[in-house]
Amino acid sequence: MIRSLIFFSIISLLLTSCSTKIVSNNYYQEHKGTVDSIERRYEKLNPVNPFSLAYTDKKFNIVSLEMISDTLTRIYEFNINENRLADTLLKYNYDTAGIYYLVRKMKDSKVTWINSFDYYVNDRPQQLIILSIKPKTIRYIFSPPKYIALVYFRTNQYFDEKGRLLDDRRTKEVRKIKGQVFYRITDRICYTITEKYR
Amino acid sequence: MNLSFLFSSGLIFAYHSNSLRTHLKLILFTYLFLFLADQETFARVLPGEIISTKEEAIAFLEKIDQPKENILWPNVKSKLFYDNLKLNLEKPGSFYPGRSTNFCAYGALSYLVMQKDPLGYVKFMNELYDKGEASFNNIHFKPSKEVMKAAGTLKFKGVLDIRHAEQMWFLVLADKFKGYLNFFDKKFHQGDENTFWAATNLGKYDRMVSKMCGTHVKAVGSDLIKPWVKDPYTYVQKRIDSNIVSLYINNRIIHKKNHDKVKFSIPTHFIILRQIRREGNLITLRYWDYGGETEMQITSRTFKKIVFGIITIDK
Repeated sequence: MIRSLIFFSIISLLLTSCSTKIVSNNYYQEHKGTVDSIERRYEKLNPVNPFSLAYTDKKFNIVSLEMISDTLTRIYEFNINENRLADTLLKYNYDTAGIYYLVRKMKDSKVTWINSFDYYVNDRPQQLIILSIKPKTIRYIFSPPKYIALVYFRTNQYFDEKGRLLDDRRTKEVRKIKGQVFYRITDRICYTITEKYR
Repeated sequence: MNLSFLFSSGLIFAYHSNSLRTHLKLILFTYLFLFLADQETFARVLPGEIISTKEEAIAFLEKIDQPKENILWPNVKSKLFYDNLKLNLEKPGSFYPGRSTNFCAYGALSYLVMQKDPLGYVKFMNELYDKGEASFNNIHFKPSKEVMKAAGTLKFKGVLDIRHAEQMWFLVLADKFKGYLNFFDKKFHQGDENTFWAATNLGKYDRMVSKMCGTHVKAVGSDLIKPWVKDPYTYVQKRIDSNIVSLYINNRIIHKKNHDKVKFSIPTHFIILRQIRREGNLITLRYWDYGGETEMQITSRTFKKIVFGIITIDK
């Protein structure tokens, strides 16, 4: 019985105390230029032909491309060095150079995913851009991975005194995106730490 | 739909305690029985025919006197509700279960209901909005007060935010139909659309489809063990032309959410398969989920890995 208790205590300690640590506490400020340029390029390309990009492997060689049209979403995975990627982009009239720029920049700055979301304010559609970054971490055996998710709104948002993103000025209700509370970086940009990149 | 609760510290401790070992065995036996019972499900055989048409449903919607806001549903906006019903009829494939919710099974069910009985759907929704209770295919729905209050409040779920009829429909279905995954979370609380309260296992899905569509449902597979068929591709391919085929899949393999190589091998998502073809080692799937069709290419090995349930529904 005592042995069981000790075993259980050790396992519990391992599971609770050894959470993944992100090496840099200031990722956004250190990579602001690159990350903002990725967001700006995506914001320019996406309205013409909607898409999302995700790196699905740890080494940032495999990219999952979602090409979204009114009638069909096509999801294909490519090695970034394959000609198939360019052929596919050409076939479906995507801006090949623009998307290759994103693919390269995302790899360089460890951006794992970029996508846009619709949301509604007073029943009117708004759009935000979300991107996830795989930061350098210290990770223990049972600890989950950690990603930084950045959300770019088009308009200024409301935050409480703790810097948490709010639904609107009146309700003071914390707004969760994909079940996560987000924190203020600027009036338009906020972040969270998450175990999933999308 | 993760099963982490089974491996929680409490159960690990219980295993090491002799006095509780019998209880643990009992729990495990019950659990195994529940999912193995799903291995082959034959629902009651009912005529699998089209009950009503889209045109009949649109004519009904145009005739009814659309009421103003109803205090029974304090957060449902009448205009958004009826606009949504109209959209459901004009574009039956537009049902959107929402971002980050556990409504995917109800989304797939909606697709099937709209194939069989759009007039039944619109009559049911109209009566439900008007009286707070209604019947569909002889199943009576009287949602809880919490659910009635929640309809119209779901936010940041994409276009579901402004689709008040769909919010009502999904919440009411989740409130009515229960399976063992809902055992510990039966009563709705705010945010439960994302939790086990809304989760659906294979057996529950089969029952819902059979009862709501009044049709013959045959399923192979289970919640933990893959279908006992020699070649899932051939099995599906043989049935897709003469039936509607729905798949219960592990979406986390094809729609990765982290870079870990070790992943729980459990199904997480229901889809309606529209087309399937194989060229060499590559399988191209075209399926409906989340308000639209998706085309995806995967290897035969991945296809075998992701499919946990193949549900064949009479057209």
